[in-house]
Amino acid sequence: MNRRGFLRIVGATGAAALAASCNRANSIAETLSSPTSPGRFPEKTELILLTDRPPQLETPIHYFRQDLTPNEAFFVRWHLEGIPTSVDLRTFRLNISGHVRQPLHLGVDDLRSQFEPTSIVAVNQCSGNSRSFFEPRVPGGQWKHGAVGNAKWTGVPLKSILDRAQVKAGAVDVSFNGLDAPPLPSVADFVKALSIDHARDGEVMIAYAMNDQPLPMVNGFPLRLIVPGWYGTYWVKALSDIAVLPQAFSNFWTDKAYRIPTTPNGTESPKDLAKDTIPINRFNVRSIFVRPEPEEVVHPGIPNEIEGVAFDSGYGIQRVEVSTDGGTSWADARLDPEIGKYSFRRWRASWTPRNRGQYRLMARATNTVGDTQSKAQWNRSGFMWNVIQQVDVKVA
Amino acid sequence: MSPKANILVLSLGLVALLAGCGRPANTSQQAAHGFARDQMKSMLDSNPEIPVHTIVLPHDEPIFPPGPGRDEFVTACVVCHSPRYITMQPRFSPATWMSEVKKMKDVYGAHISDEQALHIADYLFSINGKASTGQGPKGTYGE
Repeated sequence: MNRRGFLRIVGATGAAALAASCNRANSIAETLSSPTSPGRFPEKTELILLTDRPPQLETPIHYFRQDLTPNEAFFVRWHLEGIPTSVDLRTFRLNISGHVRQPLHLGVDDLRSQFEPTSIVAVNQCSGNSRSFFEPRVPGGQWKHGAVGNAKWTGVPLKSILDRAQVKAGAVDVSFNGLDAPPLPSVADFVKALSIDHARDGEVMIAYAMNDQPLPMVNGFPLRLIVPGWYGTYWVKALSDIAVLPQAFSNFWTDKAYRIPTTPNGTESPKDLAKDTIPINRFNVRSIFVRPEPEEVVHPGIPNEIEGVAFDSGYGIQRVEVSTDGGTSWADARLDPEIGKYSFRRWRASWTPRNRGQYRLMARATNTVGDTQSKAQWNRSGFMWNVIQQVDVKVA
Repeated sequence: MSPKANILVLSLGLVALLAGCGRPANTSQQAAHGFARDQMKSMLDSNPEIPVHTIVLPHDEPIFPPGPGRDEFVTACVVCHSPRYITMQPRFSPATWMSEVKKMKDVYGAHISDEQALHIADYLFSINGKASTGQGPKGTYGE
C-alpha cells in the first residue's frame, strides 16, 4: 500500500469512530470523496469527477463560453465496467446485420472514403443532467448542469449506410451496440434502438470526427451514433454493431431503464408515482447560465455582461428572457445568430446593478413551438431537468 | 522502406507491446508496467497515423473503512463499479439504500444473498446515510 492509501485508510477509520460517537457534520462518504481525484483521464482535461469506474466526468461551466465544447472538456458517461481502452483500426469493423439484403462490415476508412461526409453541430445531453437539483434527491449520477456539450459532428448519415445494406420490407427498429461490455453475464449489455423511420430520417448519423478531430476514446472512439435533439442515452459510443429488426426492440435498457412518465414534461409526485412510462426521447427546452457563475461576485454601477446557452430538440429557440430581481420582472436577452437548430443558442444581456447586495438572476428559454421551462419538476429517475435556473449573485 | 511500411512495422511492434501488457485496468499490472505504458501512450498520442489507439485509465479509488458488511460490499459491489458510486450520492435513508442494493441484486444480477444484501445496505447507510424522514424516493434503474 502506498503512503497516501495508508493515510486514507487511517483517516477513514478515524472518521468511522468519530461518526459512531457523535452527531456528525460530515458523512464518511464526504470524507472519502473529497477532494482527491484519480487525475486526468486520457485525452481529457481536468473535469469534475463523479465516478471513475465506469467513468462519469462533468464539464465545468466555463467551457460553455465557447460555442463548441472542446473535445478534452466534453462530458463522459459510461454504464458498464468494461469500457473499450484499445481499438485497432485495421481490424475494427462496423457491422450492419439483421433484416437487410446486404450485411456490411465497414472499417473507419471505408466510412471516410466510400460515403459523402456530412457535418452537424448538435448538443448532446445526458438524460440525468442536473439530477442533483431534484428535491427530494434521487439516486443516480449526481450531475450539476455540466452533463451536456455542443460539438460539430462529422460522419456518414445512417440512412446512407442502411440504404447500402438494403433494408428489407417490414423493418421496425434498428438497434445499436458498442464495444463496451458488461462485467458479469447477468448484466444486460448496453444496446439502444431507434425506430426505422427515425434511423432513416437523414439526420441521425455515425460520426468519426468530433470538432474535426477523432473522438477521444472515452467519448466513443472510433465511431459514435449521433441522434440530434435526443438524449445522450441513444448516442451509442464506440459503435460497432447495428441490427435491423423486423420486430420492436426489447431489452433492459429500454424496457426498464431510461423511462419517463407519460405526464407533461415527465413530472410525477414522489408520493404518487406515475403508472405509465415511455422511453425517454427528445430534449425539452432549457437554458444554462454561463456567466456569472453561482456565487460569483460582481460590482455595482458598471455594466456586467451576463450570458448563457439555450437549446431544445430542434424546433429552435424563439426567445430567452432574463430576470435580475428573482422573477419579478423579465426582459428579453439578445440571441446570437443561430449556428444550427440542434446547437447551443447563445444569449446575452447587459446588467448594471445599482446597489450592493444579493441578487437572484433567472433565465427562461422558449422555443418556436411555445414550449418553455418548468417552474417545478420531479421524477423518480432525475431525468429531463429544465426548471428555470436561478443564480444567486453577490454585488459588492 | 516507404513511410507507410515504417508505420506498419512500428504499429506491429506496439501490438506486441500491448499483448505483453495485459488489461489496462488492472492495478498491479499498471504499476509494474507504468513506465512502458506511459512511453507507449506518448508514442500513440504523438503519431495519429498509428492504427492502434490505446488509453490507460487512471486507477485511484477510495478505500472504505472497516465495518460490518464491508467484506460483502467489496466482494459484491466493487467488482462492477468504483466505491465512488456510493460517495457520489447524497445521504440516503436506510430504505433508499436497501432499494439500491436490491436493484443491483435483482436487476443487475449482483451475486449476493438476501442476507448479504441486508449487510451491504446497513454498511452503505453507515457510510452515507441519513435518518429516514418519512417516505424517501426509491431508486430506479441505471442512468
